[in-house]
This record gives sequence, structure tokens and C-alpha cells, in this order.
Amino acid sequence: MLDYLRLEVRRTLRDTGFVIGGVAMPVMMYLLFTNLGDQEGSWKTASMVGMAAYGALGSALNTGGGVAEDRTVGWLRQLRVTPMTSREVVLGRALTGSVTVLPAIVAVLAAGGLVNGVRLDAWQWAAIAVLLWLGSVPFTLLGLGNGYRLTAQTTGVVNMVCNLGLAVVGGLWFPLSLFPDWLRSLSAYTPGNRFASLGTAVADGHAPTLGTITVLTAWLLLFGSYAVLSYRRSGRTV
Amino acid sequence: MSFARAVKAFGSVRAVDGVDLEIARGETVALLGRNGAGKSTTISLLLGLNEPDEGRVELFGAPPEEAVRAGRVGAMLQDARAVPRVTVRELVSFVAGRYPEPLPVADALELAGVAHLANRRVDRLSGGQTQRVRFAVALAGNPALIVLDEPTAALDVEARHAFWESMRAYARRGHTVLFSTHYLEEADAHADRIVVIDRGRIVADGTGEQLRRSAGGNLVSIDLEGRTADGLELLPGVVSVEVRGRRARLRTDDSDATVVALARLDAIRGLEVASASLDDAFLALTGSRTATPDRETV
Repeated sequence: MLDYLRLEVRRTLRDTGFVIGGVAMPVMMYLLFTNLGDQEGSWKTASMVGMAAYGALGSALNTGGGVAEDRTVGWLRQLRVTPMTSREVVLGRALTGSVTVLPAIVAVLAAGGLVNGVRLDAWQWAAIAVLLWLGSVPFTLLGLGNGYRLTAQTTGVVNMVCNLGLAVVGGLWFPLSLFPDWLRSLSAYTPGNRFASLGTAVADGHAPTLGTITVLTAWLLLFGSYAVLSYRRSGRTV
Repeated sequence: MSFARAVKAFGSVRAVDGVDLEIARGETVALLGRNGAGKSTTISLLLGLNEPDEGRVELFGAPPEEAVRAGRVGAMLQDARAVPRVTVRELVSFVAGRYPEPLPVADALELAGVAHLANRRVDRLSGGQTQRVRFAVALAGNPALIVLDEPTAALDVEARHAFWESMRAYARRGHTVLFSTHYLEEADAHADRIVVIDRGRIVADGTGEQLRRSAGGNLVSIDLEGRTADGLELLPGVVSVEVRGRRARLRTDDSDATVVALARLDAIRGLEVASASLDDAFLALTGSRTATPDRETV
């Protein structure tokens, strides 16, 4: 299974679309959004977390795109006639997803620390990275759910809509203070918002709130069930 | 491997309709049939990708999933395309690593004729090269049984030739090979045994030679000269009768007896006797139902 993980991570990193869309874009957007015009210092930190979350979100969803592609070209079917079990294949894919969110998180945090001069304690850097890493699991599951259910092209479009929708509504691109009240209260229930708040809480020097954990767990269960249902449905055709 | 009265239906279509089949170790068997005859469904049952609605399918005395898990099976599936963003060596090494006793990767690449492409990316190869990489993937684990679903579809003549060379080299190592095809010549040239499948049923099973005979080894044709063809199908040896214009074509498995009987009827004007080609045999087996002879099992 480690071999499978290695193979799939390698394949993902060779995907130009992944490297540009999942890693380079969030870094560029972060540097752009934080260095245009006069900005207060706290935005550099908040936006760093937001863009790292945005990059991780996109990378996590991208796992589903990979699955859809593998289904289309018959690679998953080919794996079914090797001694690998489907459990190993699914688990290997999920692990691949959790590894491939790391480049985006690390790249944006590095841009914050090295280019934008964001200063945090060592434990804060580590905690933000780890929490964003763990917090990306629901989005990996959402991506897998799409990937097992839809065609490769549809998955690409749906993932992009999910990515942009969750990022914008979740306040990963723009601060929530710019939102109207109703949208701000809605935003607090979305997974993207709570995902980023895992990191912003740490940047502010405290642990994520219980509300954040509760909302994210609810989304984890929802997206997890969606992934399982999609996988079962695809069982006949994979 | 064996099929016992296996049935698989998709909606109202019985894609595999009561197939009985046994294949012994070391045999090279062709599954021959037209498009939609049930070849791919038969293969998916054999590999455990689908389960039969009725009947039983066994590989090495166990359910197919178990044989697959034990690494005794390798397969080249239909319609699979190149795996993106991976090199030939990476792909073949990975698959080989899943099996308990794989071929050395270099051997697998050599055998499939892709050693010179080892460092190329699979998604940047030509159709023929991709097909051989897929063959390398099928044999990488050194499985006892290798299943190839239409392996030469969409290959040009040269690529096809190279492919069969590789396949024969693998079979010579004592492995069992089952391949499906809709090309008669391929089945005849590369298999020890041909199983003809049509509308989900096995309509013939034997060597190419036996198939020719079972479908009526010879073709006797005469001018009808205004008489009807009625009753000709009752003559000795006649398997089927077909009227084309003024001529009647009698497929017969005993042309001597047929000719003698025609002579008694004084119906030998323009008499011609020719041996039926495998094409004729195939058409007879899968064409009109009236021409289906009894199954001949080996």
C-alpha cells in the first residue's frame, strides 16, 4: 500500500494543473491580496491562514479528480484484477489526498513567514500546519464522493464550483467583515470557514472553539457518508 | 477454470446465457465472437469483476476473487487507456510488486517488447506501444492465468504481429492464456482451442480444424435450373442450404455422400465442391440459427 501511495503521490505531483492550481495560485493570490494598497498587519496573518486553507481545500478536492480520471482510463478496474483489495485502493487514495494537501499549506505559510514577514511562535506555525492538514480530511472525502460518482469532466467542474464556493463563502479570500450580516452568519456554518478558523484561532494564540470542532465534525460525517455512498454506487462500474 | 451454467443478465439482455466451459492448465484458448456476443461479460465473470446471476464460476477451484487475490491471474481489460503521468517502468514495477512471485521487471518489459520504452511516460506512447505496456502489466506478476480481452483491437498489422509474438513467448512458459477476439485468423493462428460464443451461448468449441468440420467441412454448389431447393437439406451429409440466385450452396460434412445423392436426383449441373473456410464455418455457427450444429466438445 505504501507503494500505491508513492505511485499516486508521484502522479499527482506531475500534474501541472495540480501544481499551478493547487500550490502556485494560492501563493500568488496571497501575495497579491496582502500587498495591494495599504493593509493592516493582521490581514497578512489572517489571509495567510485563509489562503493556506484555500490551497489545501483545492488540493483535497483534486484527489477526487484523480479518482474520476482513474475510473475513466480503466486504472481502477485494472487494480481490481491485481491482488490489491478495494479497501487498500480506497485507503491508499485517501492517504494520497492527505499527503498532497501538504505542499499548498507549506508553500503559503512559507510565503507568509519569508516574504510577508508574518511572525508567530514556533508552536503556532506547527499547530497551524497540522490543524489545516487534519482539517482537510472532510474536503478529501467530498472530492472522493464526486470522483466516484461523476465523470472526469463533470468532477473537474463540480470540484471547481465547490472549491470557489466554499472558499469565497467561507471567507478564505476576503475578510468576513466585508460580508453583509446574513452572509456572515451563514458563513459560520460552512466547512470552509470553520476549516480556516482552526488556523486563525491558533494564530490569535488560542485553541479552536468547540463550535468549530462541532461544525467540522458534522461536515466530516456528511462528506464521509457521501463518499461511501458514491463508492458503493460505483462498485459495479469501476 | 470452469463455468457451470453461468448466466449474467443486464436488464432483459442475457449477456451470458448458460455458459459451460472448462479450461485446462497450459492451454491457449481463444474466445471468438462478434461484437456484443458476450465475450467481455464472460471475461468479467471469470475475473470476478461481475458475479453470475445463476450458475458458478471457478478459477483454480476457488471463487475468482480468491484466485485474483492470490495473484494467480493477470488481465488486460478492454477499453482501458494509458494511465496518466507514470513511466512504463514505474507502472510495471508497481503491479509486479502486488504479486507474490512476480517476474523480474526487466524480464516483463523484455517479454512484452517495451524494454526500450521503460523510462517513457505511458500517456505519451503510441496506441500499439500502450497496448504492449498493458500486456506487460498483465504478465508482470507472473500469473498462472493471463486473460486478454480483445488485445489487438485497433492495432495495425505490424503491432499486431509483434503482440502475438510476445503472447506466444509467454504461453511457451507453460502459462494458461485466454484471449478474446473477433478476428477468426487470430483465433486460428494463435490458439490451441477456439471457443465460439454467440448471443451469450457457446456454439462451438474445438480446434480450428474441428470447427471447420463441425460447421460443414465442405461447400457443394449446383445450378438449380428452375427446380426448388426444397428437400436438399435432407440429403446425406447436408448441414444447411442457402440459395443465391440460381445456385444452391449446400454446406456438408460428407461431400462424397452429398454429391452421390445429388447425382441420383440428376441435380449436378454446374457442380462445384470447395472446402469451407473458417469464415464460412464462423458464419454458419453464428449466423442463422438453422445452421447451428451440435456442439462438439474436446
